Amino acid sequence: MSQQSEQSHQSEQSEQPDEHLLPIANSRTTWRWLGGRLRERPAALALTLLVGLLGAAAAVVPAYALGILVDRVRDGAGSSAILGIAVTIAAAALVGGAATGLTSYLVARLGGQILAMLRERTVSRALTLPVTTLERAGRGDLLSRVSADVAEVSNALVERIPVVISSTLLGTLTLAAMSSLDWRLGLAGAVAVPLYVLALRWYLPLAMPRYAKQRKTVARSSQRLVESMQGRRTVHAYGLQDRHLENIDMASRSSRDVSVWVFDLFTRFVGRVNRAEFGGLSVILVTGFLLVREGTVTVGQAAAAAVLFHRLFEPIGMLLFVFDEVLAAGASLARLVGVVKMPPEQEREQEQEQGPGQVSGAPGQVPADASLDLTDVHFAYAGGADVLRGISMRVPAGSRVALVGSTGAGKSTLAAIVAGSLRPRRGTVQLGGVSPAALGTDGFRGRVALITQEIHVFAGPLIEDLRLASPGATVQRATEALTTVGALEWAEALPEGLDTVVGEGGHELTAAQAQQLALARLVLADPAVAVLDEATAEAGSLGARLLEESAAAATRGRTTLIVAHRLTQAASADRVVVLEHGRIVEEGSHETLVGAGGRYAQLWSAWESRTPTSPDNKVRLA
Amino acid sequence: MAGPTTPPATGGRVLRRTTTRNARRLTAGTVLISLHQVCEALVPVLIGVIVDRAIGPGDGTSLLWWLAGLAGLFTVLTIVYRYGARTLMRALAEETHLLRLEVAGRIMDPRGIETELRAGDLLTISSSDAEKASYIIDYIPRATGAVVATAVCSVTLLFIDVPLGIAVLVATPLALLALHLATPRITRRVAEQQEMMGTAASLATDLVSGVRPLQGIGAEAAASRRYAEVSQKSLAAALRAARTQGVYNAVSNASGSLLACGIAVAAGWFALRGRITIGEFLTIIGVAQFLMAPVGLLAVIPGWIAEARASADRIARVVSAPVLHTDDGAPAGPAVAASPGLAVRGLRYGTLDTIDLDARPGEFVGIVAHRGTDADALVRVLSGRVVPHEYDGQVLLGGEPLGGISLADARRTMLVEPHRTDLFEGTLAANLTAGADGDADPAAVSGALAAAAAGDVVSAHPEGLAYEVVERGSGLSGGQRQRVALARALLARPPILVLHDPTTAVDTVTEQAIAQGVRDLRHLAGTAAFTTVLVTNSPAMLAATDRVVVLDGGRVVTEGIHAELGATDDDYRRAVLR
Repeated sequence: MSQQSEQSHQSEQSEQPDEHLLPIANSRTTWRWLGGRLRERPAALALTLLVGLLGAAAAVVPAYALGILVDRVRDGAGSSAILGIAVTIAAAALVGGAATGLTSYLVARLGGQILAMLRERTVSRALTLPVTTLERAGRGDLLSRVSADVAEVSNALVERIPVVISSTLLGTLTLAAMSSLDWRLGLAGAVAVPLYVLALRWYLPLAMPRYAKQRKTVARSSQRLVESMQGRRTVHAYGLQDRHLENIDMASRSSRDVSVWVFDLFTRFVGRVNRAEFGGLSVILVTGFLLVREGTVTVGQAAAAAVLFHRLFEPIGMLLFVFDEVLAAGASLARLVGVVKMPPEQEREQEQEQGPGQVSGAPGQVPADASLDLTDVHFAYAGGADVLRGISMRVPAGSRVALVGSTGAGKSTLAAIVAGSLRPRRGTVQLGGVSPAALGTDGFRGRVALITQEIHVFAGPLIEDLRLASPGATVQRATEALTTVGALEWAEALPEGLDTVVGEGGHELTAAQAQQLALARLVLADPAVAVLDEATAEAGSLGARLLEESAAAATRGRTTLIVAHRLTQAASADRVVVLEHGRIVEEGSHETLVGAGGRYAQLWSAWESRTPTSPDNKVRLA
Repeated sequence: MAGPTTPPATGGRVLRRTTTRNARRLTAGTVLISLHQVCEALVPVLIGVIVDRAIGPGDGTSLLWWLAGLAGLFTVLTIVYRYGARTLMRALAEETHLLRLEVAGRIMDPRGIETELRAGDLLTISSSDAEKASYIIDYIPRATGAVVATAVCSVTLLFIDVPLGIAVLVATPLALLALHLATPRITRRVAEQQEMMGTAASLATDLVSGVRPLQGIGAEAAASRRYAEVSQKSLAAALRAARTQGVYNAVSNASGSLLACGIAVAAGWFALRGRITIGEFLTIIGVAQFLMAPVGLLAVIPGWIAEARASADRIARVVSAPVLHTDDGAPAGPAVAASPGLAVRGLRYGTLDTIDLDARPGEFVGIVAHRGTDADALVRVLSGRVVPHEYDGQVLLGGEPLGGISLADARRTMLVEPHRTDLFEGTLAANLTAGADGDADPAAVSGALAAAAAGDVVSAHPEGLAYEVVERGSGLSGGQRQRVALARALLARPPILVLHDPTTAVDTVTEQAIAQGVRDLRHLAGTAAFTTVLVTNSPAMLAATDRVVVLDGGRVVTEGIHAELGATDDDYRRAVLR
């Protein structure tokens, strides 16, 4: 029956399209990573092992002592012979208890610290991933790593790892104790070891891919959940909840089936473990029988060996029982390490494959000024045709250039390239004569800011949202930034002013307010170059004019590249660049281009005609 | 979605329902697992017998017989475990699935629910809490098995020596009772730890969701530091919980061992005095040793159950959260006319101060708001995200008030396309036809695409309509997403369509084409089937409307035809001129 389900799952697996999930570290990398972290804490590691060893020793003592008691009984010793033994095992019980408790705490501490470091690095790495990678992989995958996988690993730390450690130590000490009775009894006990190992070696290769599959199914299931929860408004507006629930149902169902399938294998493994127990126990009993008959060991020693071995059933069973959970935690760990270990060079490699253009100038160079130079920039999205074809342009320091063009002309792509989110396939971008590669990611991001139409209000107090752009910014600086963008009035009118909790779960801001907040962050980040991609348009045409003023104030004195959907933005810029099909078709000042009667003039007249009264519409931004 | 019964309001009820609806599998599994425990308990008994009857006297034949008996015992033991555990696993997996669906169903309830929980918390509840609560299905048989094993051990002990057996029967529950007193503290610590973990997960969710704006201003490092702070707090909570748990483990382990030790010492004393045989002594030791496992389990199980309970409590908080729209009696309400108009009467809500509006059947009405908050408030009310008793006045669809018709009817009659576009995983075609009940013919699809000027989105991809939209349509530009969403809304053909700033990411030229497209598709001369309300102040869009209503200061300040208003009204010109 389980054979069948195995096959059906495998075929299902091969039918599924390969998803672009984030990388998962292989077991060697995972172990090496873990080993490295443990070596960083030698004292804590040594203490943990020492206390664990003490606990195991305390657990072996009673059975050993009772073997002695059996022989004293057979020797007809007086009832006072019990006293020493009673004291010994009572002391062992107390020491063993304390050591067990301490071990579980020490393991939780050691592991907790490593786990905290791991999840912090995972999030940190996730936040620096190229947006293209993150979106392709899907956020649900990453989210399930930072929530479900972190939970899995931390559960393992608190409940499983102490068991693994204490059981292993106990097993080792028990075999040593049996050998000290008679080496042949020790050998008889060791017979069980290969049986256990065989069982594990049968199980692990079968289980590993099942756990991997289980992880993937869970990731998929949570991806479905996240998408539906985030898009709840649309789901409700279209009455799509049933369909979305159906999708969640399907994903959850397959996650359910996989966990049953994984467990069925585990129960077969347990059967093999029982066989190993029976094998070991019967060999010890037979060996004891023969040795007693031969007169080399006492009945008490033979009995103690059997009792010691039987005593291992529970801890070994626990060890094997948690083994699959440790494996599951290992799979979670591999998924976390997979993110942490994503090479930061990945982008650079791509760049080297795709275009040699970027690497000019030695690292650590300082830009001469805040001017932007684009030379022969080409760009294509993966597998597609070029969307930018040979863009060359210059934005002098402190000036404003507007990009104009119809949908699909490549404006946003160009903005993303200038802001460093995308890398050109060919050609160069230079800031003050220095390439982004030479500036390094931090150096570049510190100088060039990008506001896209994707607005996000970070959950928490408003002031903390602003402080993301400038950690430790004083209330005064935050207030000034809000004043600059004209947001102070509404911000102070919030229920608790700047301390009002906004974003998900907090006070809901309007689109225009959220956008002003983004501009205030820009002011606080204080970059030399600002790239605004449809930043004002997203608030809706309602607050657009106000936002244009906010944007103009936020970018004053900065080299600014604006993707202009509204031609007033272009009209107020120092220069206008008109893009069509990935090429520059016109550039010049607003007046020049209007006078030239080309594409821009055509757009401008379309813009003018939308305002019913044209005579006085020389409207400019204040 | 939640079925006819009321959703469980407490974690305890969630767990109780879990046990009742899995009663059959739970019973079968519990019986088999208990049987397994009995077999386990018999192993040390057999060891004692073998030492006593075979090894002591050196009887080879007896050894073979008893080893055969041991083999039989192990066979039964293996079989009952396998089937018992599998049965329980099936129940557990099914229950996790059901709870996950129930939570998701509640969150997705079209009537909306009141909850202060964030997306990250909701994700944790629907994934890990659903699983943790279901684990009650694992804990009950284990606890029962432990009780049965303890009983079998006691009977064995009584059979060998009555006073000793009685001592065990008294001492074991006493030790358990003492340990049980510590559980509330553990529960509290565990709850704290889980809450901190939830907070950390929420923060991670939030930051990852805002990764693009973060990277745009170079705030990745600041965001990472912020997460690190919360992560460290979460670590501190985990360590507090581990400390409590460690003390508990120490006490429970030591008391279990001391119990076994006391029994063994008493038995040894009896053996030294010749009251029991060596074999009986060994059986007692073996049984007493074995007894530590079930007793230890019974000691830790309350902690596990507390954890399941904490998870169940959070599930209960979601599934019993009050719905926003109580749909009582509404299904019996009147049906809405085939070609309804939209009317708003005396609406006061948020910044809106008594609004009266009309969009007659077949009319294409523009709404211009000088203040963005007025537009937002109006759209919020129309979209049904606000409960009727939260606002004054009425929204009438075809003459029927919004609160008087069923929610399903209201949503069928009027579609409010949110300004913030959400596309979903699936093909472009699936996204486009999401509102069309799947009966959209290719001509209708291309018609809607053309009207929304979204044809190029399809032609930009070699797969065409089969193009796979990845999460939230992130592979498409903002303008493309807006136009696809608009085409989706048009394809749904709702009698009343409300669009809120549908073209903010679309350039001027395309906007004009879209305005004409919407007009041609929904408002051909002589038809009155469709009513469209367009909240915008894009003149290109407004130029295509029949009539424009202007809001300012929460009131309707003027109405008229776009061209006329533009020619005569300076305020209007300023509003739409930008």
